[in-house]
Amino acid sequence: MGFLTVLKKMKQKEKEMRILMLGLDNAGKTTILKRFNGEPINTISPTLGFNIKTLEHRGYKLNMWDVGGQKSLRSYWRNYFECTDGLIWVVDSADKRRLEDCKKELFVLLQEERLSGATLLIFANKQDLPGACSKEELRDILDLDSIKTHHWKIISCSAVTGENLLEGMDWIIDDIAARIFTLD
Amino acid sequence: MSDKMDPLISIENFSEKPNKINLLTKRELERQLNIQKRKDDKELLSASNEKLEIFEAIFAEKKSYIESLIKNSRNLSKNELPDHFNTISKEILTLQKYVAASNIFLRHYDLQRCQNTLQELTNKAKYLENELLPKKKFSFKNRMKEKDVKKEKEDEVDSAVFKPHVPAIFNSCGFFNRSDETLNMLPSEIFRKDVSLENLENCIVILKGTASTLHLNHLKNCKVFTGPVSTSIFAEHCLNCTLVIACQQLRLHSSENVQIYLHVTSRAIMEDCKDIAVAPYNLDYKGVEKDFENAHLEKNVNNWRCVDDFNWLSEKHSPNWKEIPEHERIQRWQEIE
Repeated sequence: MGFLTVLKKMKQKEKEMRILMLGLDNAGKTTILKRFNGEPINTISPTLGFNIKTLEHRGYKLNMWDVGGQKSLRSYWRNYFECTDGLIWVVDSADKRRLEDCKKELFVLLQEERLSGATLLIFANKQDLPGACSKEELRDILDLDSIKTHHWKIISCSAVTGENLLEGMDWIIDDIAARIFTLD
Repeated sequence: MSDKMDPLISIENFSEKPNKINLLTKRELERQLNIQKRKDDKELLSASNEKLEIFEAIFAEKKSYIESLIKNSRNLSKNELPDHFNTISKEILTLQKYVAASNIFLRHYDLQRCQNTLQELTNKAKYLENELLPKKKFSFKNRMKEKDVKKEKEDEVDSAVFKPHVPAIFNSCGFFNRSDETLNMLPSEIFRKDVSLENLENCIVILKGTASTLHLNHLKNCKVFTGPVSTSIFAEHCLNCTLVIACQQLRLHSSENVQIYLHVTSRAIMEDCKDIAVAPYNLDYKGVEKDFENAHLEKNVNNWRCVDDFNWLSEKHSPNWKEIPEHERIQRWQEIE
């Protein structure tokens, strides 16, 4: 039995997943996390370091890592890559000016070897704002169809209204579960 | 078995007395040593604090000296320049050695900061040297020309920090590419919208009412007045501006010389900014209370003093921002009356 099999077995027993949330600053990562956890969202400050939350959802234990997205923090993102089962990339769909930036950072991440097995969920956040890009537009602008290395899906959502957050989480959980818990 | 044990015990008994005395003196010695050690440790700690202060003072002095040297190089004649640049690089090297020698008592973060500063100085000097004393390279004439052209282009890009960069799609709500104007939007126009102000120069912008979020980008010599913005304000590349703003979060990036009269219910952060001054929000217009309610912002929670600077993780106050002293604050805004 190899090391990976041992790991797999251990995870299987606990049904534990490690999910990393990244994205540019002001994308709404912390807001998504707090909204999903049912916490108030009107007191959220820009994330200076990172937040960790352990959530129970559908019998799975989710370790959610929310790491700040400021330029000066992005170089530290790689410290969180190890053992990541799922990556949630949060996009501020209304911030059209920085979509190029957003695309660049995402593709840098996807080349990362330690993330190569991870499922990728793209949250097209802030759909409550008029003028926000639709997920079809984002798919185009971010050139998502060129991603062949990861299982991915884009879901439009709003952390403020809570719309579609659950759908997104359910998809990523199902995809990860299909990969790490049913294989033997 | 017992026969064998006996002599052992007797030997022990026999040597017990001197042993105890030995033990006692040994313990006393250890105790004193311990006290001494603790004392030393304490001194070392305070010494290292002192050392840190001295180090920072010396480092800052040297840094400004090198900067003045670099600045001065434009005023020198061409044949003085090689020597001059030699001196600069020597000074930088000395400073580098000084930092290296002090690394025992420097924290990792301080070290990093010093090294960044050094790198910046080196880059500046190198850049200037390349500009003022271009190296003669052996190459064919055509090539040479090509390179020159390229270089010029690069300079243009470097100098035009405030050159508008063309966004992929324009936001529908807001003002773009204006100068020397007073710009006004009605509360009904911005209500729950994502408002953008982009590439404005010498403008006064008044946004009464409650926007959902606000983006400021490439503003120069502008004054911006807003009612309470219900989520975040994201500002980038603002130069010589006055912002009178209220929001839940403020993120300020790559800006310089900005006065902010701020109401923020969670926190404000800044990154790559210089000469930022903050004071509490004092915009008063008819219906402002109602707007605060509509934006779900607490009127009596204002953390305008809590600015986190991502480029300054030390406990000391960041040099990049300060509070505006009370007597210097502007009390009334004629622009909106």
